[in-house]
Amino acid sequence: MKKITLDARELEHPKPLAMAINILKSLDDTNYLYMVHRKNPIPLIDLAQEHHFQVLSHEDDEGTWHILITKNHTADLKELLLV
Amino acid sequence: MFSQKGLSLDQAPPISVVFRFFLQGALFGIVGGVLLAIYQNEVFDPASKGALVLTHVFTLGIMLSVMLAALFQMLPVIAGVKLTSPIKKANWVQYPLVVGIITLLFAFHFGKISWLYLLASVLLGGSILFIAFIMIEKLLRLSNHSSSSKGITAALFSLVLLVLAALYLTTVLGGYNEGVHYVEIKTAHYSFGLFGWIAVLIISISFQVIEMFYVTPPYPNIMGKYLSGGILFLLAIASIVSFFLPDIWAVCHLVLALLLVAYALLALKRLSQRKRPISDATVWFWRLGLGSLIVSMLCFMLGLFVQTAWVHTLAYLWFGAFALSIVFAMFYKIVPFLTWFHLSSQGYFTAPMMHEIIHPKTAKKHFWIHCSMMAALIMSLIVPQFILLASLLTILSFGWMGYQIVHAHYLYVKTQKEGQKFNY
Repeated sequence: MKKITLDARELEHPKPLAMAINILKSLDDTNYLYMVHRKNPIPLIDLAQEHHFQVLSHEDDEGTWHILITKNHTADLKELLLV
Repeated sequence: MFSQKGLSLDQAPPISVVFRFFLQGALFGIVGGVLLAIYQNEVFDPASKGALVLTHVFTLGIMLSVMLAALFQMLPVIAGVKLTSPIKKANWVQYPLVVGIITLLFAFHFGKISWLYLLASVLLGGSILFIAFIMIEKLLRLSNHSSSSKGITAALFSLVLLVLAALYLTTVLGGYNEGVHYVEIKTAHYSFGLFGWIAVLIISISFQVIEMFYVTPPYPNIMGKYLSGGILFLLAIASIVSFFLPDIWAVCHLVLALLLVAYALLALKRLSQRKRPISDATVWFWRLGLGSLIVSMLCFMLGLFVQTAWVHTLAYLWFGAFALSIVFAMFYKIVPFLTWFHLSSQGYFTAPMMHEIIHPKTAKKHFWIHCSMMAALIMSLIVPQFILLASLLTILSFGWMGYQIVHAHYLYVKTQKEGQKFNY
């Protein structure tokens, strides 16, 4: 699957949300959004879930959040997190 | 806006709830400008009815209105608190609040008309305590508190205590009570209002939003953990001790002023440590607000040692500049974001972008209007005629704010009627 990366760690609110929503609009079954953020972007996760995306949100030991979102429900996001 | 704990889109309040409290604040601001032209320089005499009326237009009409807008919006977002039936709750608060404020202003203006004080007490006490208790109850149920949620809880406790003190004062002013403890309760009332409610709420929200909006390093843990609760504790102790030792307030105010100066200096430092230092009117509003807080607290401390009227007047004027500047900073972040986010989450392809809802240049122009208003108000202490210019600029400033709300709401409704939707 094609990875679309968005590193939002140094972007001011609400740019990460705006950019992520734009990417969500273009997603299909062959790709996924990989977002890195300093906070857990709950409004984005919520929006994605309400529109039936598959979502994974994970905080690493350094407090950085890794968010994966895809339209493909057969994709294993835990595995993609390691890619 | 983010939370570590979670926010569902259906938890966020309807946009109308937030907008109408902001609009209420703007309309009372315009009323404040008109009243400034009527009372003129009398407002600088703390014993005058003009000062009493204007102070409550500012604290209740403007500040409480916008702080309720911010709380309705931000409690679910930064504290993970869900307020059920937000429209119904907003109605229960807003209508009695507006009538109560107007009644109280008439009561102050006309003097001893007992029933006006009684009516104002019932309407204001009922509506404010109603929403404060609901919010406190929800906050106390949280299992994991952030520095912001703890601070908001402390601020709401202060709101409850300042309202209870106000109810005592109105029974005295209305002639229902002899007022044996009037002076002590009055000091507690404004101390809880300025330090415990307005300052603590702004501080608590800033713990989250400065880092989030402007990509700065976080505040030190010790400040996030103890500052808000510490201020509430100091105020509570001073309120009790003052019945036996009235001078305790001087010590309490000195410590509080030092704490607020330390907070403001740190917040200014954080703003200077932004990772992407882009010029933005909201940053300037924050800087002006924090700078005003420092000047206010320095005047406040000076006033503890020097019995000069203008020092006290300057302390309150600069405190007003602090609070209003932060209100405008938050306003220009919240309104465009909410409009855009609500429309985007509803799937409108043609949702206006944030800069199309309120252009950054519009916020910058407001910044200069606000600065001019403050300058004219302070100048009027030296040249009394400047008060009319200050009045006009106050009307312009809040008219500007009101127009932005109406315009954002117009774009919101227009997009909902005519906009095209996309499928995620």
